[in-house]
Amino acid sequence: MSSSAIQVNASSEIPVTVTSRTGPIVQIALRDIATLFRTPCIIISRSLAFIVQLFVFATLISKLVVVPGFFQYYAIGSVVGTIASISFIIGYDIFEEAEEGVLDYLLTLPISRRQFIVGRALGGAVRAMIYIIPMFVIVAILEGFVNPLSLGAALLVLFLLAFGVTGLSITVAVSVRNANRFDVFLALLELAVSRASTALYPIAFMPSYVAALAPFSPVSFAADSTRAALTTFSLDLPGLAGLIAFVVVFLGLGAAFYFRKLEGGVYA
Amino acid sequence: MSSLRIVPLVVERDIRILFSDSFLVGIMFANFAIDLFITAVTFGNLIPRTTEVPNYFLYIAPGSNLITAAVAAFQSGRDVWREKYIKDLTSYLLSLPTPRIVLALSRITGGVARSLIATFPGTLVISYLYGILFDPRIFAAYVIMGLFSLGIVGLSITISAFASSIEVFVTIRSGIQLYLSFLSTLFYKTEVFQTSAPLLVPIVTSNPMTWAVEAFRSLQGAHDILGPISILVAPSVAFAMLGTASYLYYAKL
Repeated sequence: MSSSAIQVNASSEIPVTVTSRTGPIVQIALRDIATLFRTPCIIISRSLAFIVQLFVFATLISKLVVVPGFFQYYAIGSVVGTIASISFIIGYDIFEEAEEGVLDYLLTLPISRRQFIVGRALGGAVRAMIYIIPMFVIVAILEGFVNPLSLGAALLVLFLLAFGVTGLSITVAVSVRNANRFDVFLALLELAVSRASTALYPIAFMPSYVAALAPFSPVSFAADSTRAALTTFSLDLPGLAGLIAFVVVFLGLGAAFYFRKLEGGVYA
Repeated sequence: MSSLRIVPLVVERDIRILFSDSFLVGIMFANFAIDLFITAVTFGNLIPRTTEVPNYFLYIAPGSNLITAAVAAFQSGRDVWREKYIKDLTSYLLSLPTPRIVLALSRITGGVARSLIATFPGTLVISYLYGILFDPRIFAAYVIMGLFSLGIVGLSITISAFASSIEVFVTIRSGIQLYLSFLSTLFYKTEVFQTSAPLLVPIVTSNPMTWAVEAFRSLQGAHDILGPISILVAPSVAFAMLGTASYLYYAKL
């Protein structure tokens, strides 16, 4: 790996040159990936949730529902729901950093704000992908998904969802100031985004007031696109377009709010 | 001042903490509403009527409220944890002019009161759905919610006494919530476990959520309200005693 000289703006005025083996965005992303693995409790609890949902709830409930192949439907949806859930964790990290004063330290790093934010979102998305891959493999083995192209397309969709949810989580983390409120609000948002979606049940069975909104949920875009890739080897283009729009909007919003917080009210 | 006079003051303090951010109470109700009006309605449409379960939506509806009660009860344990590790309030609380056992019991009572307040509208909604809104059985519904909350508050205070970090507390809380939700009769009857996963039957039948949700369901056709309630008393009191003992242990640290 070659070293590269990177010129960055630490305070938007003073140019600083640093030498790094990897780019600053990658450095920031790697830090976030390391943070997740330093908190094994989170990994344990979410993995346990996935295992119980798949092997207990989905197994039992699929024997009661009227939809044929509901286990497969639910299994794919629970992977999508879990990646959305794990991507929300970046918000907790950012909130904690702001509370504990670590953010002040991070701001002194010789990295531009833009690189910093993109790095954080990227780190959040990549670590969610690392975390979800064993679960994705379990579902692929259980359901016999072997086509490399469709597996690749499904992983790309999951990455896009993770990237967008990371942006959404950052937006919430820098908008809500109270710790308890933040904790409960993020949990509610996580619940609303996944339950009012086609991740866990088909739209035809939802009550009309949810069925009207569910098609526009980013989790629905991802769930429909992943199912299309894995089961029919096709691309769900409207779903992908919706997902990309979600990524752009929330990454932009997250960045804008983060900038405002970082710079005390001034957009960079 | 009689040492018991402090009980309502500590309970009031706990309730004030709950309402210090009324947004939180609103969000707990929103959580319940999502569970009931999205998930329960959808699964109600997905699962056909049978003679055993004529209406699946009504079958799982009390579970939404009991889950909210568990969330509110765990919030009490979390507050106790925050008082110790974040706010450093333990020394102040221990300096109150009351025996520590009274303080511990007051904290548990406060937790139950908070949980009942948080689930008050939800219990009304479920009682309406069960057709017991204008019936004496509604009192039994609140007693069931209170007893279930008592057990979970005891459990959450026990966890807060032994959890060294918030991550550990949250992880144990998540594990217990999974156990309460998926390894109980909240979503399916015990017979479903018996045919598909017989090894889980003892876990399911000894789950406090199973007892609470079955007690609530039996209210619909019950003439005797004491029967459904009585099953919850012993385990809830046992968990509350465990919570009290843990709080006392925690106070000595």
